[in-house]
Amino acid sequence: MLTLRLPHPGTLVAFAILGLVAGGFIALATFDGGAPTLFSIGPYLGRVLAFSIIQATLSTVFSLALGIGLALALVRRSFPGRSIVLAALSTTMAMPTIVAVFAVFAVYGRSGWLSEGLVFLGWPGGISIFGYPGILIAHVFLNAPFVARITLDGLNQIPAEHWRLATAFGFTPAQIFRHLDWPMLRAELPGIAGLIFLMCFKSFAIVLALGGGPSRSTLEVAIYEALKIDLDFGRVAWLALIQLVICLSMTALLHWAFTRPPVGHTVRSLVRRPDANAHSLKILDAIVLAIATLFIAPLALSVLTGLRNIPDILEADLLQAFITSMAIAATAAVIACILALALASAARRRRLVLRSPRIAAFYDFLPDTLLAVPPFALTAGLFLLIQRFGDPSSAGLILLPLINGLAAVPFAYRFVAPHLLTVEERYGRVAASLGVTGWAKLTIMDWPVLKRPLAAGFALAMALSFGDFGIIALFGGTELVTLPYLLYERLGAYRLDEASAIGLVIVLVAFLLAHVSGRLSHAGH
Amino acid sequence: MLVIENCRLTWSDFVADYSLTVKAGHLCAVIGPSGGGKTTLLHMIAGFETPESGTLTFAGQNLLPLAPAKRPVAIVFQDHNLFPHLNVTQNVGLGIRPSLHLTENEKQLIAQTLEAVGLEGFDIRKPGEMSGGQRQRVALARALVSGRPLILLDEPFSSLDPTLRRDMILLVDEMRRKRPVTILMTIHTPEDAADVADQMAFVADGKVVASGRPTEILNSALAPRIAAAVSNS
Repeated sequence: MLTLRLPHPGTLVAFAILGLVAGGFIALATFDGGAPTLFSIGPYLGRVLAFSIIQATLSTVFSLALGIGLALALVRRSFPGRSIVLAALSTTMAMPTIVAVFAVFAVYGRSGWLSEGLVFLGWPGGISIFGYPGILIAHVFLNAPFVARITLDGLNQIPAEHWRLATAFGFTPAQIFRHLDWPMLRAELPGIAGLIFLMCFKSFAIVLALGGGPSRSTLEVAIYEALKIDLDFGRVAWLALIQLVICLSMTALLHWAFTRPPVGHTVRSLVRRPDANAHSLKILDAIVLAIATLFIAPLALSVLTGLRNIPDILEADLLQAFITSMAIAATAAVIACILALALASAARRRRLVLRSPRIAAFYDFLPDTLLAVPPFALTAGLFLLIQRFGDPSSAGLILLPLINGLAAVPFAYRFVAPHLLTVEERYGRVAASLGVTGWAKLTIMDWPVLKRPLAAGFALAMALSFGDFGIIALFGGTELVTLPYLLYERLGAYRLDEASAIGLVIVLVAFLLAHVSGRLSHAGH
Repeated sequence: MLVIENCRLTWSDFVADYSLTVKAGHLCAVIGPSGGGKTTLLHMIAGFETPESGTLTFAGQNLLPLAPAKRPVAIVFQDHNLFPHLNVTQNVGLGIRPSLHLTENEKQLIAQTLEAVGLEGFDIRKPGEMSGGQRQRVALARALVSGRPLILLDEPFSSLDPTLRRDMILLVDEMRRKRPVTILMTIHTPEDAADVADQMAFVADGKVVASGRPTEILNSALAPRIAAAVSNS
């Protein structure tokens, strides 16, 4: 007997995602109008690639150096306010890039704190932050705390027995580093370094605002400029293809070579590190802590100055932008959660029910590939597709939540997938023997376990989307304004006082959402 | 002889007060409920915990002012005894020299000891490539090559299956007959060591409740408490 069965929702989602990406590319590539050859954009491409790679490498090296130094200093020392520093490290990870741009202007800009301080001290010339200095400062400010946080979690996972052995053997500080810290760092570093390089390589808002010249672009910015300024879809397609190939190979390398179990909620090991008393390390740690404080604290605190400027921005456009941002973020989060749930449940079915781990691994990898797709190229491609069918003026309202949602799928997936697997391993056989399948299985078996991680994924997806300054740069204008767009506009007009207040609002909402996400994901354990 | 007299340690929710004597060359099995203070007793002797009062001497020497590395003590934990990035010889070598600059004589001693614990030819293996029982043999070999006369074994074989556990205890017994060491070993199931131990100490609520020959302890009025301690954890 012939029966027609609908494919699994996750299969449909996977094909839909692949279809969107492929459709977008085909639309770009076949758009008529003298498509350039790769050769004709060669020299420009070379400059952009060289700049992308150099700035990403330098950003990665500085972030690792400061982050690891900071983690080791924090793990060796206890001082008043240490717990505040640790909490602050976790929150900087949710700091939107456009707010980091504001912080760099506020501290190092033409009329920033440093400049004013130097003038006060009698330094005549101004300082310019455009180009490498500004970009590196912003990237290190965002990434060093992330490195420190991951390194701290790694160091805290060294078993207490190893510290007791180190004490019992009388290890010197150098031996402690060689036998305890270094093996952990060597295992973790390649993965962290690769991730930071990838994020800096794809950097958009920071490079757009702080690059200060057409040759100082990442591929992402180059794609944006080809769209916004030149409307050159052929060049967009080429640049996007190259960006996709580079990022996809790096993502694949990271995914297959360095995936490690997610870091749990670690308690600080109660065993005292035997190297905490070494004088040389006391001096080193003091220097590292001083550098980290001098570098990170002013940038972080600059956002707080927005507090006194809040009254200045309480106009209608702020409220409107706030509502728009919230609505886009919530829709994006819904999209991200639904897609992640469908993909994770397809991966689970392949792995545990159909026993095909290879296909399951493909489903696991698919969310990460979304990080490699250049959002501007995808947006442009989809825009070309949409305009054939409907009114292109409302395209932004559809594309913004969709693209932001797709970008958040990998994060939502990480919250949902492990829990789905665990439920199936525990109750899958019972459910199968009772004949509980499909919707009933989802509501009876999965939902009780899934609701917290799903809510955590939702909150994080919302935080990411809320603070995102990406393709809104294309669609933003009088019709459509989000808070990050408003901030970018004020920065462009050098209205730092208003920018500070907008930045503060963005940061508060993003941090609050990230905090809720963290609480929800830890509460289950 | 190891002499512990009224060594007192205080936490907000737990008070320990130990008094115990173990003769030189004896093997003392320490039993009792989990959370009763067995491990704390060993950690105190090793120097990871410092008592606020009391005395702790071994062979007439006061151990309390000594840093852990300076005490005549070697310790083996239940787990995580080996550094995963070092091979077997290096892991054992740490017991002689933390710098791992080993002389030919020392390398030979390590090879002999590895042979004695039944790990001949395992010298360049990494801990990740070995079973739990083999890893504990390496840890035992390290305690032996260190030449320290007092060996503390903290639930060393509890994660092994019963037959293997028994084999390891017999190995410890065999080793101590070859060289003059005093051993304190916390164990989970008293029967495992009843015939090899010279002495058995029952520790509960932070105190050495009773100490004596294993048969005395196991047949005393404590028997129901010992049985409860074993079945509860």
